Amino acid sequence: MNYHFGRGKSRLTPYLLLLPGIAFYFIISLGPSLATSIFSLTDTTGLKGATINWIGLDNYKEFLFMGQASKDNFDALGRTLIFSVFVTTIQFLFGLVTAVILNNPKIRARNFFRTLFFMPVILGAVIQGLIWSLFLFPLGGPMAKLFEFFGLRSEFLGGSPTEAFIWVIIIQIWANMGITMMIFLSGLQTIPSEMYEAAEMDGANNWQVFKNVTWPLLTPSVNTNLLLNIIGSLQAWQLFLVLIGYRNGTQVLGYLIYAVGFGQTSGSVTSSFRQGYAAAASMVLFVLVLVIGLSVQTFLRRREERIMG
Amino acid sequence: MKNAKESNGKSIKWGLVASYIFLFLLVLAYLGPLLMLVNTALKTMPEFMKNATGITTSFNFSNFADAWEKANFPQYIWNSIIYTFTATFIYVITAVFVAFPISRKYVKFSTPLLTLFVIALFLPPALIPQFRLILGLGLYNNPIGYIMLFLVNPIGIIILVNYIKTLPLELDEAAALEGCGYLRFVWSIVLPLIRPAVATVVVLHAIGIWNEIIAPTIYLTNKDYYPITRGLIVFQGVYGSNWPTLAAAVLMLTFPMLVLFLVLQRQIVSGLTAGAVKG
Repeated sequence: MNYHFGRGKSRLTPYLLLLPGIAFYFIISLGPSLATSIFSLTDTTGLKGATINWIGLDNYKEFLFMGQASKDNFDALGRTLIFSVFVTTIQFLFGLVTAVILNNPKIRARNFFRTLFFMPVILGAVIQGLIWSLFLFPLGGPMAKLFEFFGLRSEFLGGSPTEAFIWVIIIQIWANMGITMMIFLSGLQTIPSEMYEAAEMDGANNWQVFKNVTWPLLTPSVNTNLLLNIIGSLQAWQLFLVLIGYRNGTQVLGYLIYAVGFGQTSGSVTSSFRQGYAAAASMVLFVLVLVIGLSVQTFLRRREERIMG
Repeated sequence: MKNAKESNGKSIKWGLVASYIFLFLLVLAYLGPLLMLVNTALKTMPEFMKNATGITTSFNFSNFADAWEKANFPQYIWNSIIYTFTATFIYVITAVFVAFPISRKYVKFSTPLLTLFVIALFLPPALIPQFRLILGLGLYNNPIGYIMLFLVNPIGIIILVNYIKTLPLELDEAAALEGCGYLRFVWSIVLPLIRPAVATVVVLHAIGIWNEIIAPTIYLTNKDYYPITRGLIVFQGVYGSNWPTLAAAVLMLTFPMLVLFLVLQRQIVSGLTAGAVKG
């Protein structure tokens, strides 16, 4: 595009002013991100000044094919997928239903509901986690009382690994459903009201209106939410850190990378600062996110073409 | 026609009832944990142990003073404010000067540059090399190193680029004709015009820094440098069994966020949703 603000030396001004932002991005984010693949081929530890040796694919071999450790890694990988499937599906459904309900002008106090359901998003993982730790207080807390009422007993986050894992899924959905809901709501607002009026004229019932008008026209928001939830949940592990710590039978890949790389563990799992190995694990997670993300995106694009023509 | 309308009206009514039941259950799930927090923060420890869910009768406000004093909150909150403010300020200023020329194609390779910001969202996590970098620079356990981590946010650039596209090109021509220089143009004409997008980006970036928990766990070992998130985790480690005091501490940090949210709701929602969408 034509540049209007002078020639010669002064033509360099936009470049000079652009430089700091670009430099930050290359040095702090893009460079390190790409360097992950290089570090994954070394035996880097967390120590300053220790020698770094080139060890080829050893980290990957160890991660994928070495006895008990690999079995644990595959368990973590499986858990990551399970976490992602449950979080994505349930959060998607709740977000959609809530948005459709709150888009109905006959419902009162819609602003209140919207605000309340979005609120956890701004609180962040630490406060979300602590609020729920209290709510799930096993000795007579509200959820314990509710369980008792139905004749059940549970230790919740301190219970069996599966039990704790399920609660993290629930809290993850509680924390982020508001974003899914808001994206659906803004999608719903782009649907012209004439479409609904026309459907009503044809005598369509609520379900038919949803199926034939709302759902197809909501395709862009559906795609956004699905991709977002899938990629986000594959990488999420902050709530695991706050709610249960690094505990056997609950680890997901993101947490495993952190624990291996920085040795901050609790419970029965110990690890040292093996950052080369952690980088290899990062690459495994990256490939997982990339493959799933791209296939879902391809599928969604084909679906969109079919619907939107 | 009449018939169709009647049956329609009827089904809508049932739909409304079902809708309200669904909303009511959700409200319980969202309000319940918050009410439990407030209730516990007002109890004494013996009262909590006797009946954790019972409604408080003691209104023990000393929990707040206790938590404030024992948790070293003033220090942590001050650290969080410094980190959030400094990093957001530097980031947003540099981001505007990256986004404007890219959006206007005033620099070479504008399109590939923008692509680099878009693909950032799909790249492998930078965790390990980033740590080596900060360590190598001698900025481990150093507030400057910690702030450096937050000078980047590709999503913010994308939001700004898209918004700047809506500004008419004639604006640039007219300003240049009047003899306005590039720096002054971006600073005193473009910046005020893109305020809504800047607000969105500021909110998105600042909330992210304020709530960050992984970076302080990795990069900061000195308690004097902890932000409030890490401080809260430390406090939980020490007073974890004393729920009334811990609840008071959590509430003191939740409350300002909620007030801020109610005041800046529009910007916050658009910031966090835009951040998510572009992600």
